[in-house]
Amino acid sequence: MSGMPQGPAELVLQKRIVTCVGSGGVGKTTLAAALALEAARRGRRALVITIDPARRLADALGIGALGNEPKAIPADTLAALGVTSGGALFAMMLDIKRSFDDLVERFAESPEARELILKNRIYQHVSDALAGSAEYSAMEKVFELSERLEYDLIVVDTPPSQHALDFLEAPQRLLDFLDSRLVQLLLHPAFAAGRFGFRLFQRSAQRVLQLLERVSGFAFLEEISEFLLAFEGMSEGFRERARRVRALLLGAESAFVLAAGPSTEGVGHAALLLARLQAAGVPLAGVIVNRVRTWPGDGEPPARIAEGAEEPAALHALEQALAASSGANYPAQEAARAALTAIRTYASLVRSDTQAIAPLRASALARGLFWRRVPELSRDVHDLEGVSRVATALVRPPAEGSRG
Amino acid sequence: MAPQFPTAATLRPLLGRRLVIVTGKGGTGKTSVAAALALAGASSGRRVLVAEVGRDEHLPRLIAPGSPPVGYAGRELMPRLTAMRIDPYAALGEYLGIQLRVRSAVELVLRNRAFRQLMDASPGWRELITLGKVWHLEQMRDSSGAPRFDLLVVDAPATGHGISFLDVPRVVVSAVRTGPLRRNAELVEEMIADHDRTLLLPVALAEELPARETADLVAKVRGELRIALDRIVVNALVARPFPPGLEDLDAQLARLPAEPSWPGLPPPRVFAACAAHLRSRYELNRVYLDEIARSTGLPVVPLPFLLSGIRSVEDLRRLAEPLLATPIAEAA
Repeated sequence: MSGMPQGPAELVLQKRIVTCVGSGGVGKTTLAAALALEAARRGRRALVITIDPARRLADALGIGALGNEPKAIPADTLAALGVTSGGALFAMMLDIKRSFDDLVERFAESPEARELILKNRIYQHVSDALAGSAEYSAMEKVFELSERLEYDLIVVDTPPSQHALDFLEAPQRLLDFLDSRLVQLLLHPAFAAGRFGFRLFQRSAQRVLQLLERVSGFAFLEEISEFLLAFEGMSEGFRERARRVRALLLGAESAFVLAAGPSTEGVGHAALLLARLQAAGVPLAGVIVNRVRTWPGDGEPPARIAEGAEEPAALHALEQALAASSGANYPAQEAARAALTAIRTYASLVRSDTQAIAPLRASALARGLFWRRVPELSRDVHDLEGVSRVATALVRPPAEGSRG
Repeated sequence: MAPQFPTAATLRPLLGRRLVIVTGKGGTGKTSVAAALALAGASSGRRVLVAEVGRDEHLPRLIAPGSPPVGYAGRELMPRLTAMRIDPYAALGEYLGIQLRVRSAVELVLRNRAFRQLMDASPGWRELITLGKVWHLEQMRDSSGAPRFDLLVVDAPATGHGISFLDVPRVVVSAVRTGPLRRNAELVEEMIADHDRTLLLPVALAEELPARETADLVAKVRGELRIALDRIVVNALVARPFPPGLEDLDAQLARLPAEPSWPGLPPPRVFAACAAHLRSRYELNRVYLDEIARSTGLPVVPLPFLLSGIRSVEDLRRLAEPLLATPIAEAA
């Protein structure tokens, strides 16, 4: 895609909103935090918005459980991570339910309507049940924060999803639902009464709903009409807002990054997402595969390591070297065998990761996206030091990063 | 430890229950564990039903690669092993069809997009109808009056905490005073809470987030549910990288001179780095395995990481053996 940043460094310098998408468990939060830190290192005021990250990482960012507001990472902490004058890093943990409630508060026609919605049992489940509402409320918060103009860059860590477009489509889906004939029928029974063909459906639907109500003992119809009536009044404001959020996220100032894990399963999910995002016209800039096992020095592992006829001589040489450096009492013979086993095991792990991510790499490069691998670190990332190492790995020269 | 949670010494064998509900987040290998358990059950002579819950089918492909979808109707994948997928809408259709006796009308309604959106937005019914179907399967008898299935393995949905759906019958029982739904919910609740019949089997990974989620899950089960919980399966544990007595092999390798004369081998620093990687991954695994055992107070069942992944029934059988082994009370 022309005009898209060619790597993470350009990305965090050129864009105002960077959205990280991908399945759960791939370290998306860490990558989002690393991108924001990198922006701060390059002199920008960056905010990372996250949802339910690993607790220790949240603690490291100073955003424990509470608050739906950004918090600044202290300047001296940042200085130790290479952030000099001008740069700043903020973090916030998104409270999804509260963000959705805020939305209702803003657009409800009256205090009574607002109360009706917030107390309605259907509403209480709608925010969970309508797929993507969590994502949408995240985007809503991003929109609000971007309007404040306090940050040069906002990096968003989206909720894990197989359907990355949910957050864009959720408002439309809700509006479609409100506009649907079934709902109109429930709201205004007279409205559709005369239409033939619809009557059969109407009768059947009513019988099914009545049955559900009878077996469930739950005033289903009453609750749902109450919710819909209350919501109808706010749909205009909601619609306009949804349009603006969408425009911001798909606009020239925004870019998306797809995060993936190195397993075959993870790569499969990511490839599917990649195709969907592009088909939907989402401004995708690059793909980052996290926690990839890489060969020391970053080349390819040798295809064969002292196998077959070469093995005895190799073992002998290893044993000699170990005996010389570790002393006469060291079980050098067993150690030599164990060392050879270890290096072969690790080589096969590297090969299996390389093989697993190859199709994703090919598909990213074919689409003109940037491609980065972040090597698996020897420790889990749950402090800013770890985030900083990931950031450094992300902005290493592209020639190296683009090798797969 | 709360008295209703048995220790390793009083544990019953995994195949001793009628219903095992396997739960865990996506990526933990929950489906492989469910498949391995079902296979082990069938191999032991039991008649087994394994049911996936949700929109996608993954399990039949593990057990019988290349097999067509089994769907809601289910199919016997091998002798004594039947697989099915419980789709809530299919279950709802079955239920409504019985209640209304007008199948065509039910289908017309269920296919309607707006109706589906309405149902999608409605709480609770999916969980209840799914569990109701499980109850129904558990109750099935063959012509001789014996249970149709000796063992039912349910691969629970990976969404949310995966156990909130077990809570629905209890909520319904407490909220609804009379009617058929209350009676259904009572039966389902009775089945779930019956420690002789039913077990919840969480599957975790020995990594930071999954370890925390497992601790949260166990706390929630203890606080809110009455289902039996007696072990945690910890999947994909990497093997001890070096033999006993050579624990510091990576450090010894790091002490080798930079340029020894050895033919056809990578340089010593590569040996040292590979060994260090394996050791740190192993140690991290142990840290979180211990954390899972400690934070849950439950015995753990360690399963090995299989480098090539699960590719065949043989791989599943390799998982089955450690899965059925006696759990370790405290991670060593």
